[in-house]
Amino acid sequence: MPDDMTQNAPVVALRGIWKVFESVTVLRGIDFDIHAGEVHALLGGNGSGKSTIVKIISGAYRPTAGTIEVSGMAQSFSRPSEAHAQGIYMVPQEPQIFPNLSVRENLLMGLVGDPVENAERARGIADEIGLAADFNAPGGELSIANQQLIEIVRGLLRKARVLILDEPTSSLTRREVTSLAAQMRSLTARGIGILFISHRLNEVIDLSDRVSVLRDGHFVLEDATANLTTEKLVEAMLPADFSAPVEQETAAATALGTKPVLAVRGLSSRVFREASFEVYPGEVVGISGVVGAGRTELAEAIFGIDTDARGEVVIDGKTAPVRSPQICQEMGLSYVPEDRHAHGIFLDLPSAHTISSSLMALGRSRFMAAAKEMELAETFVERLRIKLASPMQYARTLSGGNQQKIVLAKILAPAPRVVILDEPTRGIDAHARQDVYRIIRTLTADGVGVVVISSEVGEIAEVSDRIMVMKRGNLVELPAGVRSVEQISAATFDTNGEVTA
Amino acid sequence: MMRILKSREFLVLVLLVVMILSVATVNKAVLYPITLINILNSSLFLMLLAIGQMFVVLTRGIDVSVGATAGLSAVIFGFALNAGLPLPLAMLAALVTGLLGGMVNGLGVAFVGIPPIIMTLGTLGAYRGLMRVLTGGSWIESIPQNIKSFAVTRYLSVPLMVWTMVAVVIVVALLLWKLKPARYFYAVGDNYDGAYLLGINVKMTRFWAFSLAGAFAGAAAVVFVGQIGFVPMQTGNGQELKAIAAVVLGGVSLMGGTGSIWSAVIGALFLTAVDSMMIFLKVPGSWNNAVAGFVLLAVVVFDFLIRRTVRNRRLAARAAEMRRSELDHDGAGAPALVQTPEATS
Repeated sequence: MPDDMTQNAPVVALRGIWKVFESVTVLRGIDFDIHAGEVHALLGGNGSGKSTIVKIISGAYRPTAGTIEVSGMAQSFSRPSEAHAQGIYMVPQEPQIFPNLSVRENLLMGLVGDPVENAERARGIADEIGLAADFNAPGGELSIANQQLIEIVRGLLRKARVLILDEPTSSLTRREVTSLAAQMRSLTARGIGILFISHRLNEVIDLSDRVSVLRDGHFVLEDATANLTTEKLVEAMLPADFSAPVEQETAAATALGTKPVLAVRGLSSRVFREASFEVYPGEVVGISGVVGAGRTELAEAIFGIDTDARGEVVIDGKTAPVRSPQICQEMGLSYVPEDRHAHGIFLDLPSAHTISSSLMALGRSRFMAAAKEMELAETFVERLRIKLASPMQYARTLSGGNQQKIVLAKILAPAPRVVILDEPTRGIDAHARQDVYRIIRTLTADGVGVVVISSEVGEIAEVSDRIMVMKRGNLVELPAGVRSVEQISAATFDTNGEVTA
Repeated sequence: MMRILKSREFLVLVLLVVMILSVATVNKAVLYPITLINILNSSLFLMLLAIGQMFVVLTRGIDVSVGATAGLSAVIFGFALNAGLPLPLAMLAALVTGLLGGMVNGLGVAFVGIPPIIMTLGTLGAYRGLMRVLTGGSWIESIPQNIKSFAVTRYLSVPLMVWTMVAVVIVVALLLWKLKPARYFYAVGDNYDGAYLLGINVKMTRFWAFSLAGAFAGAAAVVFVGQIGFVPMQTGNGQELKAIAAVVLGGVSLMGGTGSIWSAVIGALFLTAVDSMMIFLKVPGSWNNAVAGFVLLAVVVFDFLIRRTVRNRRLAARAAEMRRSELDHDGAGAPALVQTPEATS
């Protein structure tokens, strides 16, 4: 198939696309195209610019510079419906279903033309691609796989020539993945081009015809899949400046006789199964995993946010019969969530109030003197080197890195025995990142146990004493010597490769 | 058929019938046709407000200004009649006043992006204030009494206004069921981002939901003035909350996307009937609001518990499926992605 593809003009082509947000350059003059009848896989780590490309093709963003060509004609779109009119349809990672409307309405919503005729076409397309669902049932009762098929049918009803599948397999069972693979093949056989995005490299190898790997806003690899292996893909995705693994001594604290500050035994939820691990005083346990693997859900289950999880959690030698964020903090466990704006910081209050807020929830005192609050804030501003004019400065006006330090100060204020940091350096600059790593090292020097959850393999390799990988809801520890970025990547990205020391 | 029997509208309808029948065991007068017709007749004002409110709540909004909009429309209606305008023109003036009042809400919410509760709280105050400014704070009483003629006209001993209401409900029901843009109200409330991605004009949809709520409030004002023959300053006071309670009781979720015109109709009937039943049971009128409130809470809590159970069961089934899939895989080795599955043919 790749041979006759080269003769056709691509259905969609991006030429010299730049995208700049504020002062951050996300795409640096990239060229990218999708041909009829091919599956073109787009790969890249967090922040590589992958989702920006998708948003530009699907009409959610306009490029800062460069052109989009559809069948050789320059086009520009500023909303999804205009991309639809050009035959481009995006199937989002989370299918956009109307849970209370019928399957029929879910398929036909927003479609122009005669409803009866459209319903017949929808029926025909649904039968062809294998969407077996009662058209009168509410959309909310569909399985995830069928919700995805609803999106695909919506695209075909709009006569899409290019479908963008964003992480379509991340929440499917293996059987569902197998049938999605067959559906993708029948789509390409009809001449539809597919832009396929997945973190699972073995799926990329099995399902795509061509692969492009994006790193720091430009393509570092583009080749026919036949010439590629999962190892080559992992290598291409790694940061260019990544040197050999840092040799680090495993913290002495894991020596025999020390009691763990955190022990998780057989913890299961809807997303992950039978997770067990221990964290010793003064060590950093890194948990690597792609988006959707169940990392954040694990942290939320340990911290008592997800109350349906089953299993045992021992904090500093004690087991709580019921866990809640408040109980966990009183027992000495703190958690920094992934989305600091939504869950970690009070943007429109003085920074000092965020820092002292963690003490408010604990039963130590119902009141706090303003002078004491300032003293606490000033202590942490100095210790964590937070750059602000005064502790009364509103957090909203601070940089991302300084906001993250405020959040760290907040969770450190009650002097926890163990902390869980979920994506601690997301969205902050390189300098602030080093500061966060330094703070982690000071913590371990004080005997605090630290869990770092991250989808950036380089970060896991840099900060961890021991490394665990969360993959499809299963948590496994890597052998002691396995700590190079290549090895962790291979284990994280589901390449099915054997990992040995 | 099963879907209708399981719906919230049906549950409340059954409750309404049960309530009337049980009161009838104490006082047979409840079942006299004249009683039932009177309940229908006195529910019209609330029903119109509730139908308007339904459009807004379907889109996951809320409009606390409909009572004030009705009050302002009633004042304009009274002025128009006193100025000697013929009845149809005066009615039109009231409707247009309501529509404009709703459009202001729609502009603020949909296009400026002000949260519905804030926007409509603001216009609630503004419209009530405007009523006072226009009337100088006094009631409009000198309305030509011939306007009551359309309120007392009856066919087959049922008031003309009730017949008109039946027609309005049927037309709105048909439009909501069949008209494509009318379905957008549901889509926008059920999944705003999803509706946008499918090319629906989400802002326009929200704008029209608020505009319709205003127009229905204008219609409610006409009914109100027709029934009592003058315009008191309190017209519509507190009715916005009753209208919200009616649609929620009838099954329009505050989370948007569910419910129908029958929710508004049955909810308004129920709340009006509760008031009447209290009279037949010789319960002091001061109990009315408390009883209506408790009924609303009971229905909403019961409904929520059932829905949560159903949802949890579905999620648990999905989790079990994922687990089985992983276990099968552990036994079977690498997945065969390229094999054509037997399931799809």
